[in-house]
Amino acid sequence: MTNQTIKLGSGLRQDSDAISAMRAGKFSYSKPNKYWVESSHKRYIPRTEDHVLGIVVDYKAGNFWVDIKGPQIALLPGLAFEGATRRSIPKFEACTLLYLRVVKTNIGMNPELSGTDASGKASVFGPLKDGFMFETSTGLSRMLLSSPTCPVLEALGKKLSFEIATGLNGRVWVNAAAPRSVIIVANAIMNSETLSATQQRIMVEKLLAKISD
Amino acid sequence: MEIDREDGRTPNQLRPLACSRNILHRPHGSASWSQGDTKVLAAVYGPKPGTRKNENPEKACFEVIWKPNSGQIGKAEKEFEMILKKTIQSICVLTVNPNTTTSVIIQVVHDDGSVSFFIMLDNHVTMSCHPLAIRISSDLRDGLLPCAINAACAALVDAGIPMKHLAVAICCCLADSGYVVLDPNKLEEKKMTAFAYLVFPNTTLSVLPEVEGEPVEHGIITSVTHGVMSVDDYFLCVENGRAATASLSAFFRKNFQQSQGASSKAG
Repeated sequence: MTNQTIKLGSGLRQDSDAISAMRAGKFSYSKPNKYWVESSHKRYIPRTEDHVLGIVVDYKAGNFWVDIKGPQIALLPGLAFEGATRRSIPKFEACTLLYLRVVKTNIGMNPELSGTDASGKASVFGPLKDGFMFETSTGLSRMLLSSPTCPVLEALGKKLSFEIATGLNGRVWVNAAAPRSVIIVANAIMNSETLSATQQRIMVEKLLAKISD
Repeated sequence: MEIDREDGRTPNQLRPLACSRNILHRPHGSASWSQGDTKVLAAVYGPKPGTRKNENPEKACFEVIWKPNSGQIGKAEKEFEMILKKTIQSICVLTVNPNTTTSVIIQVVHDDGSVSFFIMLDNHVTMSCHPLAIRISSDLRDGLLPCAINAACAALVDAGIPMKHLAVAICCCLADSGYVVLDPNKLEEKKMTAFAYLVFPNTTLSVLPEVEGEPVEHGIITSVTHGVMSVDDYFLCVENGRAATASLSAFFRKNFQQSQGASSKAG
C-alpha cells in the first residue's frame, strides 16, 4: 500500500506500526479509505450522529442521566430540546423512554445526547409514549435501519399498520392500535436475526397466516 | 519410549474440544468450553460504568468470580480468580473503556471425577489414632484452569470486549520417566510428578508484532506450575505446549468463523 491516510472505524486500533482488530467480526471496506470490523453484540459503543433509544435514570443539576446500553451512562442536557428554556425544561421521570441523537463521544467521558437534530428542531426525537420496547443486538438494529427497507418490516407493513422506532444501541420500540399487532411485530423482528431476506418474508407470511385464522 | 495413556491418546494429543458461544440470555457474552469430560461455562457482563475501589480509573477493570460445581468457595477458588484476572488483563485493551468494570463469571459444570483427599495422621500421637488433619487436595482439578481460561476468552469475544489477541491455555505434565504429556485427564494428572498450566497468545498471522525485538509468537502470558521439575524439563513442557496451541488456535478461529458465517446470512 502506498502512503495514504486510512480511516479506521470500530473494532480496529492502531498499535504503533500495526493495525490490529479488537473484536471478532466481518472486516469491511468502503471506498476510498474506510476500514472497519462489523460485529453484533448486546452492548453498544456510542458513536456521534447515531440515533438511540435511551431510558432516563436520573435528573441532576439540569441534566438527565440516560442509559443507552453503553460502557458509560450518557448525559442529556435539559436544554437540548426544541423550545426549552431554563424555566421550561421538560420533566421526564425515571424510566421514560426517549429517542435521542448522540452528539459527543470522547474516551473516558460520558457520551452526550440531544433531543433535537443538528438544526435545533425536534423532528423525530423526544419521548415515546405507549407502545412496547424490547432489546435486540446491535446487528439486528442495523439491519432494521438499512435501506432499502428491511424485508421483515416491508412484509409486516403490507398487512399491519404500526409505528416503530429503532435505536442503533439495540433497542426497538413498537406501537400499534391493537396490542396483538404490537406482539406480532415484536416477535417477527426478534425471530428475524439470523434469517436471509427470503426466509424473513416466508417467516412473516407464516406468522400472519396463523394469526388471521 | 512411549507412554501408554489410558484413553489411548498419544502424548501430544488433546482431548476432544467443544465450544459454543451466546448460550445464555442475560449476560452480554457467554461461552461454554469442554475438553473431554471437563466442562466450564463463562459469562461476561459489561463494560459497566464505575470501577472498584483501589483500581486505576484510567483503565478498564476486570473482576472474576469463580463458582465451583460443588463445595464452598475457598482459597483455591480465590487463586483461580486471581490468575484469571491477571491473564484477562494482559489480553484485553485496557485503555479503550476507562473507568468501567467488566465482570467475568466462571461456573464449573463438570469436573471429571471426585475430589481426592488425603488423611494425615500425626506420627507422634500413638495413644489415639484419630486423623488430625484431613487435607483436601485442591491442586488436582483435572485441567480446570486451562478450560476456564479458554471459556473466558471465548465469552469475552462474544461480548465484544476489545482484546489485543486471544489466549490459548493448555496443561502439560511431566511423568516419572521424564516424558512430557499434554492435556491430562483426572487419573493421569494424579500420577504425574509435576505439571504446568501454560497460556500462550494467539495472534493473527498476517503481521506479527514484535515485543522487545522478539516476535510475539514466542511470548507466554501465564504459567502456573505444581510439583518439582527441572529447568530443562520446564522448557520442554513450554515447547510442547506452544506447538499444541496451534491446533487450539485453529479450533478457536474455525469456531468463530462458523458463527460469523451463520449470522451474516441475514445481512
